[in-house]
Amino acid sequence: MCFTQNFWNLVVSGLADGFLYALIAIGYTLVYGVLQLINFAHSEVFMSGGFASYFILNAAIGTSQPHGIGSLAFLALGTVGGGLGGALVAFLLERVAYRPLRRRNAPRLAFLISAIGASYFIYNIAGKEFGRNALEIPSPFTNGPVFSIFGATVQTYYVVIAVSAVIMLVLVDRVVAMTRLGKGIRAVAQDAETASLMGVNIDRVISQTFIIGGILGGAAGFLFGLNAGVVYTMGFTPALKAFTAAVLGGIGNIRGAMIGGLLLGIVENLGVACTQASWRDVVAFGILVLVLLVRPTGILGEQLGRAA
Amino acid sequence: MNRITLRLGAPIAAAAMALAGVGTAQAASGSVARASKPTYTIAYEGPLSGGNAQLGLNMKFAVQLAINQANSGTTFKKLPFKLKFLAEDDQGSATQSPAAAQAVINNSSVVAVVGPAFSGATKAAEPLYHAANLPTVSPSATAPALATQGWNNFFRVVADDNAQGPGDATYVVKKLGAKKIYTVDDASAYAVGLVQAFAKKAQQLGATVTHQEAPGTTQCQAGTGNVQQYGALATEIKSSGAPVTFYAGYYCDFALLAKALRADGYNGRLMSDDGSLDPHYVSEAGASVANGTLLSCACTNLGSSKTDTTFSSQFKKLAGFAVGTYSAEAYDATNTIIKAMAKVGSNVKRSALVTALHKVVYTGLTKTVHFQPNGNIAGSTVYLYQVKNGSIVELGPVSKLVG
Repeated sequence: MCFTQNFWNLVVSGLADGFLYALIAIGYTLVYGVLQLINFAHSEVFMSGGFASYFILNAAIGTSQPHGIGSLAFLALGTVGGGLGGALVAFLLERVAYRPLRRRNAPRLAFLISAIGASYFIYNIAGKEFGRNALEIPSPFTNGPVFSIFGATVQTYYVVIAVSAVIMLVLVDRVVAMTRLGKGIRAVAQDAETASLMGVNIDRVISQTFIIGGILGGAAGFLFGLNAGVVYTMGFTPALKAFTAAVLGGIGNIRGAMIGGLLLGIVENLGVACTQASWRDVVAFGILVLVLLVRPTGILGEQLGRAA
Repeated sequence: MNRITLRLGAPIAAAAMALAGVGTAQAASGSVARASKPTYTIAYEGPLSGGNAQLGLNMKFAVQLAINQANSGTTFKKLPFKLKFLAEDDQGSATQSPAAAQAVINNSSVVAVVGPAFSGATKAAEPLYHAANLPTVSPSATAPALATQGWNNFFRVVADDNAQGPGDATYVVKKLGAKKIYTVDDASAYAVGLVQAFAKKAQQLGATVTHQEAPGTTQCQAGTGNVQQYGALATEIKSSGAPVTFYAGYYCDFALLAKALRADGYNGRLMSDDGSLDPHYVSEAGASVANGTLLSCACTNLGSSKTDTTFSSQFKKLAGFAVGTYSAEAYDATNTIIKAMAKVGSNVKRSALVTALHKVVYTGLTKTVHFQPNGNIAGSTVYLYQVKNGSIVELGPVSKLVG
């Protein structure tokens, strides 16, 4: 059977893809929660993270190959650098592309156009400045199979993605659930007006929401670039898939975005077992439509419009 | 940055020269020609930006070099005309190619085109060139179907994939002894034709062929595909147990697939085509992944004869980087055009040049160029290359290697 033959192998690569989708999807879902806005420029936050990590790592180690503990430091530095780059771009994006519109009570459509415009602006600038060929982040490890699980080979790169993603996902979940900032985010998501009456600084919370989404998106840009290289068009498909994952899990819901991402990654990979690689997106989006027909709010979404 | 300045620079320079008048332009180039000498433009269409730009740049500077040399009288003596150069960027894409072609056609001083570089782009642009009666000589478009459309203005100086695909298949089955082969194409016009020609020959020789189509990725600006597709594809290929994987497509996506395969622990042999024959394949995949990869091309490396080394060193001086895949072919294509123009005389018309190209015989760096009635080059040899210690070395013609 096509489905069962490489089942665990495909689940493993699906999980790796899924963790990346989940990291990016958090950015969409958080922003949607507080602003009811799809930040279509999030793909460029992802790309900026990739480039930021590339430049920071190049400045830090040049072309020398890190080993052992150095490799871990390399990965940590790349993740932090990517996160910082993503956070900076996300913060600027909110300031330049969204806040002025919000001040003037612009219609929803204006935000959408602003988002698309910002996305084109950023990726074309990147293409002009950094060239059209992929820049290779020197790999801190030799990628190859490290261990087997249920007969499936797990490669170094997948372990790196899974470990970093789990740490970040758990952190963000705890931050939103337990800290004062998280309380603010949830309050604004639930009812922005009442939250402001209760003394929540809405502008500040929105800014911080973009920054959190930017950190995760930028770090994902580094993890993605580690294998595929960083290039100005890198954000397009991964971000579109992550947006899909956010909707699949229930947009506005953080754990929904995580589950949606993992599910989409696995489904995509299993889907190609029975078809050709070129059917991948057809299978993935077909399943998305089916899920939404049964549950229009997504897997964990409670209601359309408002959730956290 | 460089190539953008160049792209904008060429038309601006051309306009400036037009404004300054023909006489001034010639005085600037240091020629003794009289002001009555007409000026014609040879255009180049190919990718100057985008993920596969390197192949296009390899050709662009070769065309420019050939034109400079013709103007200064080093390659052709006493040409009855002056030549100008125009470069149009089509990003190697079928969607952008018609607009680039139209820009070339609308420039009335253009009498011939070197290119289009890629097969998909050629397929999309050639109907326009054909309608305008403008001869095109491609250094690199290898899709077999291009020669069967009745375009009498279409020429190419490389053998088509009906030579390359079967040549590769013969090597894989006879020399490597593979009974099972996994083939992947990137869904481009070029790759689909190539992979079919490959599979047909391999099956004739008794091998079984499993095939998957993996669209070129947005990462490589080569299609709508997603980088993540290669993980699952690598799993499929590994579990098929095929000792050889043949990829039809370009270097950027081939590097991603190669990385995914090796990361998954696939130990079989990797092989690809002229689209992947570029040092960028090695740098993007990493030498440890790329080593051992076989690459093929109906084009050959330059030898060490005096003409070859002169070309290499002058190319490097002009381009700022070393000669690459299809540089020599582009140089030959341009000189073939110039030779045909010289036969026509001082009054060169597009249609007369088409007729002249059908008759021309020109001995270039890579081969003696002589076209069949359908525009294909007469004679075809497929060469094999291999990545060894991080650089691409030529193994020789397939016919000799198989023996």
